Amino acid sequence: MTLAATESEPERIARGLRHRDVALLQTLVQQYQYRLVRYFIFLLGTRDPVDDLVQETWLRVLERGRSYDGESRFEPWLFAVARNLAIDHTRKHRLVSLDSDDNDEREAVSFSPVSGADSPFEQAARSEDAQHLAQSLQLLQPVYREALVLRFQEELSLQEISQVVGASVSTVSSRIYRGLAALRQQMDGGAHAN
Amino acid sequence: MQTDRHQSICKLIDKSLAGDVSSQEEKSLRQHLLACAACKQYWDTSNRAIAGLKGFAFETDPNLPGKIFAALTLRAAQLETQQLSHRQLAWSYVAALVLTLAGSFAAMQLGDRFASAFSASQQQVQLGLIAIWIVPSVCFCLLLPTLPLMSKRRLHAKGLPL
Ligand SMILES: [Zn+2]
Repeated sequence: MTLAATESEPERIARGLRHRDVALLQTLVQQYQYRLVRYFIFLLGTRDPVDDLVQETWLRVLERGRSYDGESRFEPWLFAVARNLAIDHTRKHRLVSLDSDDNDEREAVSFSPVSGADSPFEQAARSEDAQHLAQSLQLLQPVYREALVLRFQEELSLQEISQVVGASVSTVSSRIYRGLAALRQQMDGGAHAN
Repeated sequence: MQTDRHQSICKLIDKSLAGDVSSQEEKSLRQHLLACAACKQYWDTSNRAIAGLKGFAFETDPNLPGKIFAALTLRAAQLETQQLSHRQLAWSYVAALVLTLAGSFAAMQLGDRFASAFSASQQQVQLGLIAIWIVPSVCFCLLLPTLPLMSKRRLHAKGLPL
């Protein structure tokens, strides 16, 4: 039996990254393009810098791919790389902090008046419920949006999300609960809020 | 009392959706949901919200992967060149060190043998070794730190960003 036949998907990716295998990277770029775009939009709440950040992410993966050990899934590692670049971007452009602590989380789920401009969420909403949620998502703090996308769209476990965001599992849980509370509030007009 | 029970079930629903409940908790949650309309509504609204998240379709630039491939290929070439120049530098250091040590050894230990072979004085042989062997290798050692700079200039001349 060959090495390629016995190794797992994460091991195969780790081996390719160790050898800076551009062909492997090209496959990964295709495979993760939409998911990275979506992650950055949820994280930043804007579409503008996303394509540049996606490109930066893959260059960073090429340069630092040797630090991926292949023992855990590739996605948490990739999103952690992407997140660090988004943090650099927000610091450089003095945007809302993504690495703040949770002291003001209660305040973060309250809604302010809806902006008139089309947000990336409003533009991307394809269902009636998504249209309802678009406004809430735009106003929600980035850390809650991030927890929601990683849990319910990327379907990462709490431990994996904790690895991506560099926070404890209990902090991640709390962010998911608060994010969900905000969305529920929008879905039923606050009829069954916590 | 009943309200407390509902609230604890709502918390359990959140935990369940976050993927943080035991199978026992999940079982008791399911049982409660079968019998309680209020908590069932909370459960349904939560699931509708989660399903709503799947109702977004963000547009992607079809040209983006091509741009990324080009950037990756260029960067991979740069990294390869850098790695090569680091390897060359390391070998050059080793070569310079060996040359210096060998030259010094020859000057110290074999001076008299060279002197008789070339019909010269031991001092002349030592001076010759210093001039043609030790001084060049010492100069080579001194010049080595400038190699990365030269390599960067070469990259720049090729039009590759530093
Ligand atoms: Zn109940």
